[in-house]
Amino acid sequence: MSLAEASALPPEEPSRALVFWRRYRRNKAAVLGLFLLGVIVLLALTAGLYEPVDPLRRAGEPLIWPFQDWATPLGTDQLGRDILAGIFHGARISLMIGVVATLISIAIGVVIGAIAGYFGGWVDDVLMRVTEAFQTVPNFVLLLTLVAILGSSIENIVLAIGIVSWTAPARLARAEFMSLRRREFIEAVRNLGVGDMAIIFKEILPNALPPVVVYASVIMALAILLESALAFLGLGDPNYASWGNMIGQGRSVLRVEWFVAAIPGIAIVLTVLSFSLLGEGLNEALNPRQKKG
Amino acid sequence: MNISTGRFGPLLAGAMAAFAVTAAAVDADAQEPKRGGTAIIQMKGEQRILNPALRASTGVYYITGKIVEPLIDKSYDGYEPVLATEWSSSEDGLEITFKLREGVKWHDGEDFTCDDVSFTAMNMWKELLNYSTTLQQNLEAVDCPDPHTAVFKYSKPMPMDLMLAAMPDLGHPMPAHLYEGTDILKNEHNTAPVGTGPFKFVEYQRGQYVIAERNDDYWRGEEYPYLDRIVWRFITDSSAAAAALEAGEVHESGFIGVSMADVERLSEDDRFDVGTKGYENNVAHSTVEFNHRNPILADLKVRQAIYHALDIDAAIETIMRGYAKPGRGPVPSTGGANYTDDVPTYPFDIEKAKAMLDEAGYPAGDDGVRFKLRHRPAPWGEYTQLWAEFYAQSLKKVGIDVEILTNDAPGFLTGVYRDHDFDTANGWHQFRADPAVSTMVWLRSGSPNGTPWTNQFGWQSDEVDAMIDAAASELDPEKRAEMYHELQRISMAELPVIFAIEHPFISVTSKKLINHHNTPRWNSSSWYDLWLDQ
Amino acid sequence: MPILIYALRRALQAVPVIILIMIGAFLLLKLAPGDTVDALVGDMGGADAQFIARLRAEYGLDQPIWVQLWRYMIKFLQFDFGWSFVYEQPVSVVLMERIGTTLMLMAASLFFAFTFGVGLGAIAARKAYSTTDNVISTLGLVFYATPSFFLSLMMIVVFSVKLGWLPVGGIKTVAGFYTGWKHVWDVALHLVMPTAALSLIYLAFYLRLMRASVLEVAELDYVRTARAKGAGEARLMFHHIMRNALLPVITLLGLQFSTLLGGSVVVESVFSLPGLGSLAYQSVVQRDLNTLMGIIFMSSVVVVAVNFLTDLLYARLDSRIELA
Repeated sequence: MSLAEASALPPEEPSRALVFWRRYRRNKAAVLGLFLLGVIVLLALTAGLYEPVDPLRRAGEPLIWPFQDWATPLGTDQLGRDILAGIFHGARISLMIGVVATLISIAIGVVIGAIAGYFGGWVDDVLMRVTEAFQTVPNFVLLLTLVAILGSSIENIVLAIGIVSWTAPARLARAEFMSLRRREFIEAVRNLGVGDMAIIFKEILPNALPPVVVYASVIMALAILLESALAFLGLGDPNYASWGNMIGQGRSVLRVEWFVAAIPGIAIVLTVLSFSLLGEGLNEALNPRQKKG
Repeated sequence: MNISTGRFGPLLAGAMAAFAVTAAAVDADAQEPKRGGTAIIQMKGEQRILNPALRASTGVYYITGKIVEPLIDKSYDGYEPVLATEWSSSEDGLEITFKLREGVKWHDGEDFTCDDVSFTAMNMWKELLNYSTTLQQNLEAVDCPDPHTAVFKYSKPMPMDLMLAAMPDLGHPMPAHLYEGTDILKNEHNTAPVGTGPFKFVEYQRGQYVIAERNDDYWRGEEYPYLDRIVWRFITDSSAAAAALEAGEVHESGFIGVSMADVERLSEDDRFDVGTKGYENNVAHSTVEFNHRNPILADLKVRQAIYHALDIDAAIETIMRGYAKPGRGPVPSTGGANYTDDVPTYPFDIEKAKAMLDEAGYPAGDDGVRFKLRHRPAPWGEYTQLWAEFYAQSLKKVGIDVEILTNDAPGFLTGVYRDHDFDTANGWHQFRADPAVSTMVWLRSGSPNGTPWTNQFGWQSDEVDAMIDAAASELDPEKRAEMYHELQRISMAELPVIFAIEHPFISVTSKKLINHHNTPRWNSSSWYDLWLDQ
Repeated sequence: MPILIYALRRALQAVPVIILIMIGAFLLLKLAPGDTVDALVGDMGGADAQFIARLRAEYGLDQPIWVQLWRYMIKFLQFDFGWSFVYEQPVSVVLMERIGTTLMLMAASLFFAFTFGVGLGAIAARKAYSTTDNVISTLGLVFYATPSFFLSLMMIVVFSVKLGWLPVGGIKTVAGFYTGWKHVWDVALHLVMPTAALSLIYLAFYLRLMRASVLEVAELDYVRTARAKGAGEARLMFHHIMRNALLPVITLLGLQFSTLLGGSVVVESVFSLPGLGSLAYQSVVQRDLNTLMGIIFMSSVVVVAVNFLTDLLYARLDSRIELA
């Protein structure tokens, strides 16, 4: 959706991307969100260039305040690890967690929602009871339990977050499938003798995805918050510098060296904020409502 | 500062201990004690079971020590008679006799007699009390020739100094009349204890607090205790605990209830006494545990190289803020006659560590990595976690890649001690006054899978096993000490486990409390002489 | 009584879901490494092998999982939640001791989040796209993006450590022994920061939803008609728009009850509050299966009940609108 590409098209028939971007651009906050996300992605991409490359390695004296020593611009934690390096590498981890956990939850949710919505009847009943069961159990308690079972490696944490957040996409997908399955074009395809699975994944799914994709930004934000809460409780993966781990450890020096917890905390707030703003912008751009006022 | 557990001969100990009482009770502080007031104590973890004859744990004694008394306590001058006034052992070590204090009443008004001791010893100490079941496994009967004499009969000799060392923790009689004929584990008094101590149990609000109030009929006399009331508050979050101390909401935080950063900060605050005094009986070791089933770690050179790669002094400075010292094997420096520092050591030397690893046949690969280890840290809070990360960083520097696997407590205990699914692990283990009832389980083979803090490392030595067994029933304290010195030397030479750092616990105590930390197990003791200056 | 029949039908529908949850939770917890005896022994600082074996037999943990599940479900169907081996008390007693704190915290948080969320959302919508709206909406997003534990820590630094206005944790001043209104005031002070920490994210939800909802309702015909008839702005807002705009907000209220309990895990841990959230966390870590199952059951029943109530409320609000 880059501008250059879009402007190459004839002006009287603007591309979908350009229309989309024009709508998106109207929301200043959404543009700010995109900018913030860009910065975070840049942090993640350049993490390997910043010294120290290993954020878990001791970089200086413990507990240096920010802006005191240019070798460690944002200071160091109790073990003398560079906080700025942690911010760089934490961006990678947070983005990775956000993206992968969201993909997992959407994959599970869409499959379950699609099957329930498409087949209806007892299949729908059973799957919806299971969904209700998952929604009824406090999700953070379920997450703690899953992490207790699987252990705290980063892969398992991501998987567990995906598993506790699939219910909302499932309900969205189900609703879309229920309305789409009776449409004429689907009936037509069915009459041609195309199998159910092919109809679900090739015909309906592409049409059912947009609302789920908009919701993805919400899941991403929640996934990052969930991981940080786990890490705060000491259940994060210590082999990686994650912002949640950093806050959790900074907690013990909070009374004086509050910056150890505050800096990664601000990083989380900005990241989650960027996802929310982005989601809001996408939503408005995809489902344009008449603006009054 | 250290008290020898075997300083007195078994027969002499009783007589000597009689002197000790008065000496221990009088503190250097010359102020006139004030009556009244409520002392508020922070506790990091909730204890739930308040019966010291069912749960041997410093956390339990921290509360119940004030309510339920042991037969014998320990002071800086030796053993102090509490519910037992004298003790002696037969020549062959098969009979130990305690004279019990007369005129002592349980909080419900019943008399304390030998029946209580006999019932508790046979039904709780021997059957249900962790650690004690091993100690008392050869106990056959406790006879009561008269209501104030208890005779412990053993099938194998019981060393008097071992018995004495164990009794302050593992020797709390409970009221037989409240337990007889009931399901002991489900008895209501396990959470509402009835004892003979200076304070009576009042209320236990789960997740919040325990309250005990003054026992007006305390056997030491009307003036004791000085305090009206003690409240234990459960504050799990260590920064909240520090804030509570500063706000004056709490007077004492023991067993390192606040973060090390706050320990250091509060030590400079003149409203608090901060220190390790009063924990001489509760020293712990931060460890590195090896899985010898891994052929790499089975190589002694590798284990020694790992020891050389650890800058123990730096760890003590950054993680423990100086409140610790390097470990010297399974007996800590507060272990009295059983301790020796004449052992092999492994000073920090990266180059030497690298050379030893090369020599062992593990050269660095192209990426600088020699081999990988999966490490399980115990989830016991701030410094075990930091020590794990410190360990991983240190090993990385000599080319050993360490992956840390985080678990909660049951996951850790199962992963290491039952499933043996680890290469290295770290945690800490408490020394309990005598090696026979504590750290020897690290070296003795034969503990069934799933017994935490035992030798589940796949390391075994017949010589060590035999020596541990012999020491546990050796009646001559000097010979016994000699055996423990030898065990320390073997342990430092063979490195089945690295006893890396020896650290006592730390208390932050408001200066308003007077007479605090005046015994080597103060946080577990009865506090009858503690008072509040307000 | 159609409402009664409706309630009965809903309750019957909930039964299989709750049984599914209970069996699922039981089996899931059994997958976790270690059991409550491991946790207890860890807490005690160790024990010898005989002691461990004995404890395990005592608690029935040496039986096959199916036997344990069967025994549990039989008792459960008689509304007996069993015994907590960690607390050495019946689970029902353990839960009763804790539920008050959590309900207070939840009620306070929801009340705060609802009132402020709805209020601010309505204001933002009435002044849509103005500076006021932008400030409120951005604030809402920042609230949403702030992890509750981070906010808790920062509040502790400011209000307890630096200013000394609020207590750092606990539900009351333990050695205070206050009674009457002094006690109420004391508890209220202890709940200020936890409530703020727990409610902000929900406040953000309600704010955004209310804003969107008011914008939508304001364009509906009946509102236009009312405005044409000369209804004042305030009257319009409260009598015509709010009632209808609240519908989606109320639905959300019902849906979020279970996430609120999840959120209180972290907040209760930071502020040492003796509630169900911290109990749930402790129960997972200590493998106190019976207690955790009790919590899950209780929260499931509450969620089902709250959903039912929100449906009733919804129907009531809706019918009035049709009458109007």
